[in-house]
Amino acid sequence: MKLHCFDRKFFHSSPSLTPIQLPSPMETHLWYVIPREVKSESLLNKYLDILSPCEKENVFQMRGEEPRKNALLARALVRTTIARYQINSQVSPRSLRFKKNIHGKPELEWQFSDHGLSPPLHFNISHTSSLVACGVTMNSQIGIDVEEKHRTIKHNILTFARRYFSKDEVQYLAAILDPEVQRQEFVKLWTLKEAYVKALGRGFSGAPFKTFTIRYKGVAGGSFNPLEDLNPEALQMVVDSFDDPIELTSNWQFVLLELVGSHYAAICMENNVDIEGKRTVPVKLTVWKTIPFLEDECVSGTDAVKTVSGLK
Amino acid sequence: MASATASSVSFTSLSSSLKKNQVSHLKKVSVSFGGKSFKPVPLRFRVACAAKPETVEKVCEIVRKQLALPADSAITGESKFASLGADSLDTVEIVMGLEEEFEISVEEESAQSITTVQEAADMIEKLKE
Repeated sequence: MKLHCFDRKFFHSSPSLTPIQLPSPMETHLWYVIPREVKSESLLNKYLDILSPCEKENVFQMRGEEPRKNALLARALVRTTIARYQINSQVSPRSLRFKKNIHGKPELEWQFSDHGLSPPLHFNISHTSSLVACGVTMNSQIGIDVEEKHRTIKHNILTFARRYFSKDEVQYLAAILDPEVQRQEFVKLWTLKEAYVKALGRGFSGAPFKTFTIRYKGVAGGSFNPLEDLNPEALQMVVDSFDDPIELTSNWQFVLLELVGSHYAAICMENNVDIEGKRTVPVKLTVWKTIPFLEDECVSGTDAVKTVSGLK
Repeated sequence: MASATASSVSFTSLSSSLKKNQVSHLKKVSVSFGGKSFKPVPLRFRVACAAKPETVEKVCEIVRKQLALPADSAITGESKFASLGADSLDTVEIVMGLEEEFEISVEEESAQSITTVQEAADMIEKLKE
């Protein structure tokens, strides 16, 4: 994994954002906020200030202080993150406009350039009650999903999997005897599937969970055990779709991480880069922990980010 | 399918109808990203055939249980799952809970378009017809 650490720590007395270079093709930037670390009222008000009226309305529709704060942080994270990329000097977190694609996936609406096309900056957010994350790419569709590592579900895992996952995935989970390991693999699989559907941008019904399998590359047919075999090549995730032809599904690459020891984060991005005829290019990932307007810390290569699969 | 004869809005492009925030969808497309739903606008004619109060009450109970909300928390038909703190995994579990409780089977397309208690109750009644 190539590491790009721009300026480890930045402390600002006035609200400002560290400018960041746009990600290169096949590079993903991941920014995350830990809600419980954001306590300052004045900071939260600064975040509220950059939201659109519609976003503010959505925030206040949330029931309870914590969910409200999380909703606020999610929008603030998206706006401040994108604004960092200094695509145009007129761009500020507040001035960004968003639209939805035909299926409802949020996208950046670019209105400042009269000449030339809008920059192909793509983003996707995900949040749990304890972590909010935003992934950014150039030229690639991206989907991310984060989930607490210790997340439990009310239903029996296999019952749930039989209802919503593909046959192969059920088989994979059913073969895991240790219930805790099974639960972990379930959560990982959930985040990967969510990330894929979000990357596709077609909505849940556009790619029903049952119609595709996400599996470790090394698995098909062989006696590969992902829990023991640490060969990175075999640990790569791939997707088999019953609806889409193989050429299309090979377009998607997955990265699975453990963040700050408490969350699984799955990133799915489109691979449309053809470098020297090689179809699969390893994904470069840079991760920042941030409290927008206050501090940023590049945490790639630290204990905060542990690769589960997808990165060399 | 939604016969929007009650509505005077014509079925222009999806994007313009989203802009006007009016009820002109032929098919209700409501997607959840990051656990948050984006503007599902309840079809107006649904008010005319609203679900029975007992159904709504049962749905509230299932939602309350799934999201581990206190017994006295205010959940009504208008309550949005996302606003109550449900993420996508919770929503899927809620739908599964509804399937078990009411002995119905919900297609994934329909599952994703349920974002409030009322919508869930309406869908249940429709499936039990």
